[in-house]
Amino acid sequence: MPDPPRITLLVDGVEVEAPHGAMLVDAAKHGDVEIPVFCYEPKLGHPVGACRMCVVEIEGIPKLQTACSTPVRDGMVVYTQTERVKEAQSAVVEFLLVNHPLDCPVCDKGGECPLQDVAMGWGPGRSRSVDPKRHFQKPIPLSPLIKIDRERCILCYRCVRFSQEVAEDEQLQLLERGSSTFVGTFDNRPYIAPFHGNIIELCPVGALTSDAYRFRARPWDIEDAGTVCTLCPSQCNIKLTVRDERIERVLARDNVDVDDGWLCDKGRFGYQMAESGQRITEPLIRAGGELRPAGWAEALEAAAAGLREAGERTAAIVGGSSSNEDGYLAQRIVRKALGSPHVESRPSGGPGVESRRTGGRGPAGFLRQGLVELSAPRLAASVSDLDRAESILVLGTDPLHSMPILDLRIRKAVRLRGARLAVATDRPSVLDGGAEETARYAPGFVGGFVSALAAELGAAGYERARGELGADAERIAGALKPGSTVIVWAGPDARGLVGCARALRLEEDGAGLIEVPEGANGRGLREVGCLPVAGPGLSDVEQGLDASGIRDALEAGSLEAALLVNADPIRDFAGGPAWGEALGKAKLVLAVSMFEDASTRQADVVFPAESYAEKEGTVTHPDGRLQRLRPGTPHPGGVRPMWEVLAELGALLGEETGVESAPDALAAIASEVPFYAGISHEEIGGTGIRWQERAAARYWPRVDDVGARDEVPGREVEPAGRTAPEPGDTGGRAEDVDGVIRVGTYRDLWAAEVTDRSPALRFLAPRQALELAPRDAARLGLGSGHEVEVRSNGTSVRARVSIHERVKPGSGFLIEGLGDRAASLRGELVEISKAGEPE
Amino acid sequence: MNNSADSSSEAEVSSEFPYLEDESVVAVQRGPEPGGLGGAYRAFGETLRGLKTTFARIVEGPVTIQYPEEKTPVYPRFRGRHKLHRFEDTGLEKCVGCSLCAAACPADCIRVVAAENDPEDRVSAGERYAEIYEINLARCIFCGYCEVACPFDAITMGHEYEIADYNRDDLIFTKEMLLAEPLERTPLRREGE
Repeated sequence: MPDPPRITLLVDGVEVEAPHGAMLVDAAKHGDVEIPVFCYEPKLGHPVGACRMCVVEIEGIPKLQTACSTPVRDGMVVYTQTERVKEAQSAVVEFLLVNHPLDCPVCDKGGECPLQDVAMGWGPGRSRSVDPKRHFQKPIPLSPLIKIDRERCILCYRCVRFSQEVAEDEQLQLLERGSSTFVGTFDNRPYIAPFHGNIIELCPVGALTSDAYRFRARPWDIEDAGTVCTLCPSQCNIKLTVRDERIERVLARDNVDVDDGWLCDKGRFGYQMAESGQRITEPLIRAGGELRPAGWAEALEAAAAGLREAGERTAAIVGGSSSNEDGYLAQRIVRKALGSPHVESRPSGGPGVESRRTGGRGPAGFLRQGLVELSAPRLAASVSDLDRAESILVLGTDPLHSMPILDLRIRKAVRLRGARLAVATDRPSVLDGGAEETARYAPGFVGGFVSALAAELGAAGYERARGELGADAERIAGALKPGSTVIVWAGPDARGLVGCARALRLEEDGAGLIEVPEGANGRGLREVGCLPVAGPGLSDVEQGLDASGIRDALEAGSLEAALLVNADPIRDFAGGPAWGEALGKAKLVLAVSMFEDASTRQADVVFPAESYAEKEGTVTHPDGRLQRLRPGTPHPGGVRPMWEVLAELGALLGEETGVESAPDALAAIASEVPFYAGISHEEIGGTGIRWQERAAARYWPRVDDVGARDEVPGREVEPAGRTAPEPGDTGGRAEDVDGVIRVGTYRDLWAAEVTDRSPALRFLAPRQALELAPRDAARLGLGSGHEVEVRSNGTSVRARVSIHERVKPGSGFLIEGLGDRAASLRGELVEISKAGEPE
Repeated sequence: MNNSADSSSEAEVSSEFPYLEDESVVAVQRGPEPGGLGGAYRAFGETLRGLKTTFARIVEGPVTIQYPEEKTPVYPRFRGRHKLHRFEDTGLEKCVGCSLCAAACPADCIRVVAAENDPEDRVSAGERYAEIYEINLARCIFCGYCEVACPFDAITMGHEYEIADYNRDDLIFTKEMLLAEPLERTPLRREGE
């Protein structure tokens, strides 16, 4: 997008140059003139001019104008310091303070309060008010996480606008009129929404305060530590508020290329996990069936001895919250020191993995080819490209659950720029409401849908689908504009995307793909080599087993040792409890974990893991932005940096990495990953850098290099994107079979360890629910709240029925990541039987 | 006193030191060597002059204060060890844990950790109270800024100055110690005293 032309205006007699169309408040900043504001917040979209604090005098206009809602024009003459302006501003402050209690000493905002600052700078200094102030009951909970003090509220509309126009949950309202106006929800219901914590930060007074941070510290007691949240792939930039070496709260660190200045509640309140008293803080060794504390030397030696014995019969599972450095060193130990190719970081596969029916273990050539094609720099869209795209396709994922900040970003594109949104998912998505077109396919049939979509878009080599699937694909295709589309997608089986990308000309500027990986640092781990099919830099390596392959091999005894780096496969990976049995059979399980969980119960050696607040390293955002994790708090107890531990473990196993510091570890990555070449902490800096924008991006593997070389004997390598929809992929009309539903699974936003470990979030922990269409529920004789048992192939999951209008008949949905076997049922036809009456 | 002697000696010197004309050379001037009588006067005369003062004061009696048995009274605005206060009627602590004293403290010796009041069992009158209030008196410079900063007159400087201890840790005064009614061991100077 070209920058708007620059114009010149006169502010207080000083010539100021500013972009055309900027609001006067912002333009004045170019000339170092500060105009006080309360309600103005560019992140909230259009200004409303509600507080009247920013009034200025403009030559040629008789009345004072609000600088926040007046766009600048060439030659404008503005005065911000005249008597008239000063009088008006001082009057506004006086009016705001008429009802504002003077309880700054007990108010959490005191010291960082815009109202204090503005009252000091522009206020009259003395109050003339002698009448009693307005009174409300205070403080009362607005939600379980936020307390509201209505006496302090200055009615700036910021929180209401956030709820109405940014999060679009439309729960907050201004109720009543005149001086009795107050912020609240309909019928005083609690404000429960996944992004509602942002209103705490938006509030310019202390009316909305965080329950968790309430009275914990004052601004002069604290230090800010900037880092990156690694609780989900959004990788929002955050500022940790640290007091006495403890994290007390998390604030957004605006980065328009990543998070736009918003945070989800998981990121905002999930810091409590790092401060939990239940953390493992020293190495543990199993002795006589019990884990007992041990020194680092002893634990490292025990781990090394076990790994040495297992040798190439070792597998590594790297969890999504690991940094690039952790992942790189772990795969290096397993590949180089132990000679095993089995390294995995994807709980249920990734791009290019074949559909379940081939067991998820396709030929390596195709797997790498799919990766290389779909993650290629020329097809990559950045997060800010969403702001400019004319159409957006959300495919196979619900960003609210998988990458929450993207949900707000997509809503913004639709609301402010009129982008056309198409949603194609198996499960109804929260973005459906704003979408121009929506399509539902049967769970597990994303591959068929994408191929049909490619055909409708006119990609060569794809057959058009018939029936409902074809019609759906046609509607979606019609909403997409070639050359200006961003596709946000996830899912293991999306080969047809290569065809879609070609037909939609996604290589053009401002268009492209954003893949939502399963793990927070899924993309980074993939690029540093935590894949069974590709080494660092997606290089050619001996093919290893994928997650389910590793599990089966552990179970069968052909693999003997498992290295779990920040991973809890029993909770997070497909198969769930089946991993428990597999790990139980392993001779050595080395777990790196923050907490004792299901997987550490099977572990022989446990290394304490760092939380993201303690980590030093880098992560890679799904759009390719490398970002730095900086330590904000010291390591508790005996916890040590993971790169250091892994480097020492490598040395014990004979693999000298030469890594003696976090920058060394990054340098080691940069020397092996060609497209990261030369990257350093300094270059990444505070806001990160997309590797696609660096010169080294030209070293991305070429598509023709892959494929032919990796051919696995005995298996035919299909050229990417040539596959027609598989027979039976007609949208999965499962409802023809009585009592049988095809189950899809999704990872709920709150189905995560952080929910259980953070007291503030615990109330959000989901219970297993089976979402059904009303028709299916009626046919099965089920009502909302009924306990059911969902069964297939000997796997059964108990769930509570929840009926949803927009679920496609014949589909049902379960939540993954709750520690049961739901993930194993993904894409299966299941039987449902009643297990109990509604409570 | 003896200008003429000076100038004459200067003339003598100048003939011996041809460099004297150079202004950078400074001549050291000495008084006359005392003779026998002059020496005796120096040894005893000045001493007797001093003793005159001594004997003149003897009649006034000794002014030594027998500390610690006896103490100097302090002025009412003397800044000694801090005190925290309670409301006299309700017994609630005046301090709400706002930390402004800690912000004002130039020695950074105050640490306040606030907590929320339980309406059933209040500690202070406001919404919050100081769960931890500590002053490290080993660092305190007794400037009194905390007293000035306090919006609730919860902290004032007391009169106690006998704070010395054998252990630095014992110089960290907790909220309970600061709230406790101190043993008033310091006499206050009366008006006009």
